[in-house]
Amino acid sequence: MAGDQNPRPTGGPDDVPPGAGQGWTALSYLIAGMLVWGFVGWLVDQWLGSDGIATGIGVVLGMAGGVFLVIRKLGTPT
Amino acid sequence: MFGQANVLAQGEAAFPPSVEDFYLPSILPWGAENSYWFTKITAMVWLAVGILAIYFLVSYRKPQLVPTKKQWIAESIYGFVRNNIAVDMIGHAGVRFAPYFTTLFCFIVLTNFFAIVPGFQISPNSHIAFPAVLAAISYVMFIWVGIRHHGFGKFFKNSLIPPAPWYILPLLIPIEFFSNFLVRPFSLAVRLFANMFAGHMLLLVFTLGGFAMLNASAWFAPVSLLSWVMTVALTFLEFLVIVLQAYVFTVLTASYVQGALAEEH
Repeated sequence: MAGDQNPRPTGGPDDVPPGAGQGWTALSYLIAGMLVWGFVGWLVDQWLGSDGIATGIGVVLGMAGGVFLVIRKLGTPT
Repeated sequence: MFGQANVLAQGEAAFPPSVEDFYLPSILPWGAENSYWFTKITAMVWLAVGILAIYFLVSYRKPQLVPTKKQWIAESIYGFVRNNIAVDMIGHAGVRFAPYFTTLFCFIVLTNFFAIVPGFQISPNSHIAFPAVLAAISYVMFIWVGIRHHGFGKFFKNSLIPPAPWYILPLLIPIEFFSNFLVRPFSLAVRLFANMFAGHMLLLVFTLGGFAMLNASAWFAPVSLLSWVMTVALTFLEFLVIVLQAYVFTVLTASYVQGALAEEH
């Protein structure tokens, strides 16, 4: 059974994963990205009177930004 | 407590429990309407503070090389928070935050634990005010620590400007600001509050639901019994949530402090 265990990446002596907060960080970036730029898009929609196109573009842009941030901040350990 | 049980037996408790059930009657002006200055909730918070202060003082009054049982438990709790949260998340610089994290962890565990202690049966943290204050302390602390460590300009530059080409920075900086300075305290407070609120609500639904069905018709007695068995099972689930949420709150605070202390990526 001992052979079944996955090797621990940084080898902590305990069961706590080394970056327990990283999951929450990633989640918060993804959600924050959509919310912030979705809101900006919604404001643009209100301003131009367009029918939610800007909101959609904003959400997609924000999601892209969020994914980018997750990759940059958490993806490449130095 | 017994009055409550009588009310239940007579079928006078309103069945679908509501937010009203979280506002307990006033204690100090005894039974006063709409007075929330000193209620059971307030009493429990002070009790938790008292228990923790006295317990840690007493168990470490005469520290022994071979610890007594009391001292061993207190040391284990502190050691757990120091090694598994502070040092694990922050590194050696984390040791100086360990006392605060231990206090935070113990306070949240104990106040959460009131949710399933017979006679208390509600957690102060099921009112948003208490998690909000705890989150505000963590929020101010990680910003303060960051400014102390890096200086004002460098701290905000670190936490707002990600390593990226200049042309996508306008897209990223608002996201960073929103997620680092607005979402963090909010999610910290709401996560703890919502878990304790939902836990209390679930227990209320299953307990009161059992009585409501029993009062509706004697034929429902087996279903009521099932509902109460579920209450017991959910109480064990609550225990898991209680410890887990205290742990998550402390770990996230540690992770924010770590982010504030970290050098540029």
